[in-house]
Amino acid sequence: MPDTYFYHYDSYDRTLVSERVEQFRDQVRRRLAGELTEEQFKPLRLTNGLYLQLHAYMLRIAIPYGTLSSRQLRKLAEISRKYDHGYGHFTTRQNLQLNWIRLEDAPDALAALAEVDMHALQTSGNCIRNVTADHFAGAAADEIEDPRIWAEIVRQWSTLHPEFTFLPRKFKIAITGSPNDRAAVRVHDIGLRLWRNDAGEVGFEVIVGGGLGRTPMIGKTLREFLPKNELLAYLEATLRVYNRYGRRDNLYKARIKILVHEVGVDKMRADVEAEYADTRDGLLGLSNETIEAITHQFAPPPLPHRSAIVAEVERQKLEDAAFALWLKSNTAPHRMAGYRIVTASLKPAGAPPGDASAVQMEGVADIADAFSQGELRVSHEQNLIFPHVATEDLPAVYAALGRLGFAEANVGKITDIIACPGLDYCALANARSIPVAQRISNHFSELARQHDIGDLKIKISGCINACGHHHVGHIGILGVDKNGVELYQISLGGDVDFGKTALGTILGPAVTADKVVEAVDALVTTYLDTRAAGERFVDTYRRIGAQPFKERVYATV
Amino acid sequence: MAKNLSGDLQVASANRLSDGVVVWLDDAGEWTTRLDRAAIARDGRAGEILLQRGRTEAFSVIDPFLVAVTEEEDGSIEPLSLREKIRASGLTFDAIAADAVRYA
Repeated sequence: MPDTYFYHYDSYDRTLVSERVEQFRDQVRRRLAGELTEEQFKPLRLTNGLYLQLHAYMLRIAIPYGTLSSRQLRKLAEISRKYDHGYGHFTTRQNLQLNWIRLEDAPDALAALAEVDMHALQTSGNCIRNVTADHFAGAAADEIEDPRIWAEIVRQWSTLHPEFTFLPRKFKIAITGSPNDRAAVRVHDIGLRLWRNDAGEVGFEVIVGGGLGRTPMIGKTLREFLPKNELLAYLEATLRVYNRYGRRDNLYKARIKILVHEVGVDKMRADVEAEYADTRDGLLGLSNETIEAITHQFAPPPLPHRSAIVAEVERQKLEDAAFALWLKSNTAPHRMAGYRIVTASLKPAGAPPGDASAVQMEGVADIADAFSQGELRVSHEQNLIFPHVATEDLPAVYAALGRLGFAEANVGKITDIIACPGLDYCALANARSIPVAQRISNHFSELARQHDIGDLKIKISGCINACGHHHVGHIGILGVDKNGVELYQISLGGDVDFGKTALGTILGPAVTADKVVEAVDALVTTYLDTRAAGERFVDTYRRIGAQPFKERVYATV
Repeated sequence: MAKNLSGDLQVASANRLSDGVVVWLDDAGEWTTRLDRAAIARDGRAGEILLQRGRTEAFSVIDPFLVAVTEEEDGSIEPLSLREKIRASGLTFDAIAADAVRYA
């Protein structure tokens, strides 16, 4: 079996990454020797993904488009054990954060990453960040085309791009190749959606100016249909317009969403098209050979024919209610009959969302080798995905995940909570996120109840920067600090589903930390009391509005 | 009961350069990981002096700053803000252990 069925680093990539490791090693040496001040060193360490948080340095490791091999995951486990506290946190940007890295160990950790073609470049700074993609990429039944091919092309173009290393602000690109948007493309600086037009051609809808944070906005369509081979030239034109006109006078108004909002999407489009007219025939046109070469690296793994109906699976479904629930919530249709996509829930009851120990990472890697062609994905919802699992192997995968504590049948349910690290770790946070998520998770831990409640996305951020995506949670929870007290602002109705993307609306006054669970319980009770057949929480909210929820919550807390 | 909640009491804190660990400046001008050994400035002027001293001893730490604390009858001190309490005491939940397969 080849190591991966996705992009392999070539000598250019390896040289680039290893040179950066050695440069950083020397920069760290000079800093520790006092030859560099913190002011001089800080941008250098951030360029290499090393942040200083409350208690320690944090290393943010890029997982390009959320795709990992089992070998890479084992290396992450090894690095976490050797240089950190033996666990890591998978983030909403499909990255992995190690929270306890020592500065003097950071170059060795980066060198270890480079051994498996990984790095921490462009996980900080005002540059184009790690490109994210649909976590079911390459496997989903509804996929038009594998978005990772294009994410890799964008990665190559954007890595250390000299013109876009000092943008007005950071820049995030997400790509989906399916009509069901699992990459939240409308809330990124640029979202790219592959779709097929009436002529049968596949191209991109280019969406610009979305984002969360202090000023949440839903992206607007810049180009309805962009031929695929024009992608880089068009992105270059868009980034140039942003680089030229994006605000640098105010940190909070520097993202492209503010530029699009201020000038309007029509003016933005005109500027981009004018720039594009000058650049479209340049070097960035993608030849068929280039596209084919990258596409070839993402060739689907050879999946032998397997039966779609397996007696053992059907029997276990009838005998084991938890397994039946797991099949329903944690597996998804694969493009090939006889296979399923399996999500390992990193949200066991009461656990910090998205955290995995070194042993768990190694266990997941073993499962990937045994049952999923050695491939994994990281979801922006902080779970791990086995993209290619034969239906007949599902009981074995379920059992193996159960031994790791990752078989909770809660994907998409109320305890599949997204939470940022919050004030327990983060230097920017105002309030804690993880303990709030833990309390909600414990309160709703009973699986049958979760499945009765149905699909419900709770997203928690510990500050307005919105790393926990609270704006697009069906229930969003934002931690704020008011005179030294943690309060939590609740919003309802956020969504990232394609065609329904919406920002949540604040319900009312923030509640204290000890009332958050009661407030969520009141919201759920209101929904259960009023839902119509087939309605999810967010559907009921859309139908009846905020008032009934509001009345119940504030009568309770 | 707290002896002094005025917010006038301050200690100097920073993160250690080599590993980012939270440290406080003690009476001897050394950076210590023990909050109970931190030098206490009892008014604004003393705070300025303490911070200045911290900055001159900043070779091994990053960006010293003042932290408002309270002092108990027994002399123990605690930061006033939640953020600084967490910096001083660590995570408010149990992180999963490296060899764990279950979150405890």
